[in-house]
Amino acid sequence: MEHIDKSRFAHVGESAHDREAIARPSLTFTQDAMRRLSKNKVAIVCVVLIVLLSLMSAFAPMFSPFDYREQHYGHTNAPMFSVCDDESSEGYGHMHLFGTDTLGRDLYTRIWMGGRVSLIIAVTTAIVDLIVGCIYGGISGYFGGTLDIIMMRLLEIINGIPYLIIVILLMMVLEPGMMTIIIAYSTVGWIPMARLVRGQVVALKQQEYIAAAEAMGASPARIIAKHLLPNTLSVVIVRVTLAIPNAIFSEAYLSYIGLGIPLPKCSWGSLAQLGIQNFRMYPWQLLIPAICISLTMLAFNMFGDGLRDAFDPKLRR
Amino acid sequence: MARYIIKRLVYAVLTLFVLITLVFFMMRMLPGDPFLGEKAISPTALANMNAKYGLDKPVFIQYLMYMGNCLTGDLGMSITYNRPVMEIVSESFLVSADLGTRALIFAVIAGILLGAIAAIKRGTVWDSLSMFIAMIGVSVPSFILGAVLQYFLGLQLRKVFGVNIFPIQGWGTFKHTLLPAFALGLGSLATVSRLMRTSMLDVLSSDYIKTARSKGLSQRQILWRHALRNAVMPVVTIMGPTVASVLTGTFVIESIFNIPGLGKYFVTSIKDLDYTMIGGTVVFYGALLIVCTLVVDLLYGLIDPRVKLED
Amino acid sequence: MAERVLTIEGLRVSFDTYAGEVQAVRGVTLHVDEGEVLAIVGESGCGKSVTAQTIMKLNPMPPARIVDGSINLAGHDIVHASDKEMQKIRGNEVAMIFQDPMTCMNPTTQVGKQIVESIKLHRHLSSAEAKAEAIRCLEQVRIPNPEERAKQYPHEFSGGMRQRAMIAMALSCNPKLLIADEPTTALDVTIQAQIMELLAELKDKINTAIILITHDLGVVAGIADRVAVMYAGKVVETGTTDEIFYEHKHPYTEALLRSLPSTDQGKHEPLMSIPGTPPDLLAPPKGCGFAARCRHCMQICKEEQPPEFELNAGHKASCWLLHPDCPSAEERGAK
Repeated sequence: MEHIDKSRFAHVGESAHDREAIARPSLTFTQDAMRRLSKNKVAIVCVVLIVLLSLMSAFAPMFSPFDYREQHYGHTNAPMFSVCDDESSEGYGHMHLFGTDTLGRDLYTRIWMGGRVSLIIAVTTAIVDLIVGCIYGGISGYFGGTLDIIMMRLLEIINGIPYLIIVILLMMVLEPGMMTIIIAYSTVGWIPMARLVRGQVVALKQQEYIAAAEAMGASPARIIAKHLLPNTLSVVIVRVTLAIPNAIFSEAYLSYIGLGIPLPKCSWGSLAQLGIQNFRMYPWQLLIPAICISLTMLAFNMFGDGLRDAFDPKLRR
Repeated sequence: MARYIIKRLVYAVLTLFVLITLVFFMMRMLPGDPFLGEKAISPTALANMNAKYGLDKPVFIQYLMYMGNCLTGDLGMSITYNRPVMEIVSESFLVSADLGTRALIFAVIAGILLGAIAAIKRGTVWDSLSMFIAMIGVSVPSFILGAVLQYFLGLQLRKVFGVNIFPIQGWGTFKHTLLPAFALGLGSLATVSRLMRTSMLDVLSSDYIKTARSKGLSQRQILWRHALRNAVMPVVTIMGPTVASVLTGTFVIESIFNIPGLGKYFVTSIKDLDYTMIGGTVVFYGALLIVCTLVVDLLYGLIDPRVKLED
Repeated sequence: MAERVLTIEGLRVSFDTYAGEVQAVRGVTLHVDEGEVLAIVGESGCGKSVTAQTIMKLNPMPPARIVDGSINLAGHDIVHASDKEMQKIRGNEVAMIFQDPMTCMNPTTQVGKQIVESIKLHRHLSSAEAKAEAIRCLEQVRIPNPEERAKQYPHEFSGGMRQRAMIAMALSCNPKLLIADEPTTALDVTIQAQIMELLAELKDKINTAIILITHDLGVVAGIADRVAVMYAGKVVETGTTDEIFYEHKHPYTEALLRSLPSTDQGKHEPLMSIPGTPPDLLAPPKGCGFAARCRHCMQICKEEQPPEFELNAGHKASCWLLHPDCPSAEERGAK
């Protein structure tokens, strides 16, 4: 064994600082989730896409020289990028970026007007979903007992009927329009959310940290606010994000059947329906609204996936 | 197990009653008189209808008569076609069932395979490819997909090859079923494959797979004997909603591809405001779905031993 | 002279994570002889489970990586063995039981079938013979009504019975080495005792060597022949059970034993614990891993990792205090 100088054996003792050092800083749950989300390139692209589509829907019709109802009889079914030759119109000399439809209406303006309608319907129904679902599920889950049993049995029964069928029935009875679609969808659309929230609340109620909080003397209000709600929030947010494509799909579906937004107002779904009729000869009339619908559904789906991955503590590495 | 079956049966029956009730009250709220239509009716015919549907009796009696009629198979007369709804249903439903079953089998089998492959080959190009296909299925509504397929695989291919490779209309031969079943099934395939992938990933990282490896089983043996069987369980639980989605999808797909199924009649009856037809079809489809969901639930109870022994 | 079943020399295992290379095992040398029980003790995260799983190559190989070292199990070179070779060895020459028996068995397959699977894989028996053998295995671990029990599912067994069934499954092919990774941590104390008794009994009957991984020193005292104490990915001291309990030389071993609550402690004496946490293995310290928490820490401890010093045949410890040049406490300036 080699000889070692005595000075190297000088006493040092415990170093209180080093022994507690942790290499990685600890983050709060939200901070960690946001950090993971921001690293997810796909999710970022989706958010950008959604923002872009929303901004276009909000502002593009305002800057367009054409009105969405304006018909140009001499220039129907014009292909993309054709120039307006109607002298009486404000848009004389301007390009129809997306062409015109069977009645000569500028498709570009109509697409973004349609976007407003579709996106508003989607977001509104998602919010109603959220509120009604959370309240119903929260009450049922938190109070438990007979109330819970009754509420859940009710849901199971209603859930047995496909919701599109219920929506169709309602749409027949009420007058067609944007409000109607929102109401019809909201009547049954919140059910999955309610079950989700209730499931979460029931599971969380039994967690030991709730018992620990109670043991430390926390009031029920504090428990709900600081412990139950934040932990359900992540699952709920993911669900809301994924509910939006459902709403867009339903709107498109209803429009195709003929129960959608009445003319001349338009939505992406009604534009797609009109487009299908002319598809063989003027494919872009279907393809453009179809792309808008698909891109929006895709973006929200992938963003929702990204959110779910970001919030999943098991994936924390 | 017995308790499980009884519980499911009771729910099924209750749901059916709620459905019929809903339809009844919807029809009453519709403008116009659904049972008389616009045609002039002779007094004897009127008397017959009154007897059959109790139109001159109070609402509650009408409700009970309607319920009774529905449960015995009398769904009223279609206004547009002037034939019993049930007759139209029994003729055209077989076509819809054919289309729906093909789409379902395609969606489930291909979905399970795709999802399993994505999980096993996680992170590789197979994973990305499978999930890409799933993404398309989830984002493109089935009827838009149908129209697009009609154009590209139907018309354009015909222009290129001069022959009808994928027929875009009608029904009759195997070739006619290809595009519609694909368009109808892709959405469900996407959901099934995404669920299967998540489930498979969960199973593959679970402790009993570790135990299986420690016993010396090869990867293939582990996948077939342990992983796949357990991973498929959650997929079975969503069979109910999957069938519902395929069912509602047939309405629009049949319209696009001009297939003479019940769905097409349903869509046209909405356009024609043929209320009895609408109501009758809704009751039929609803009842069908309730039965399907019941069967799926019972099936799940058989496969999962943890449920089997709940007694 | 008993045969040497397992020899591990200088094993280094790292995990490639997105945050960097985590050096989970940083140079471990161990051996186990036929019929003996080696206990590996240490805190959570010290690398004992990783070492054990590497013996069977159960760690998913990305992200895990064997950086260096050799493992010789009953004549097989594990580090360089192919997948196919490993499949023949697992379950056959070496078997493992895990901490949580509930999640470790397939919930949708009968228990008996899971044991039969093992048997048919490695022993050439017909289906009927394998079935009978599986029932015999269950009997051996003292499960009553083995024929009935074999047809049941894991969730129908109690916690202790499940662990017995796991043991039966592991021993069904008479392996030379059984690795028990914290087998009693998830069970309550009375069941713990039963399981440990069963293991001791089986060991004598079948003459299997056992590696027992645990953080519970009480369990060690009961059954182990030799003990290896691990800290921060390295073995800091090895020896017979008596040597470790009564003649330990490493400050960490001393601290571990001191932290055991004892019945002679006075009611008002505080419980002893080791202040601080183990070092982060993403960036392991260049000196001794225990330096920051060691009350005997010296200058050299923070600069260089101590080599292994042999105190007598079989008793080894890695601590600079054991270096012949190390001066006495007063000379060092220690209190």
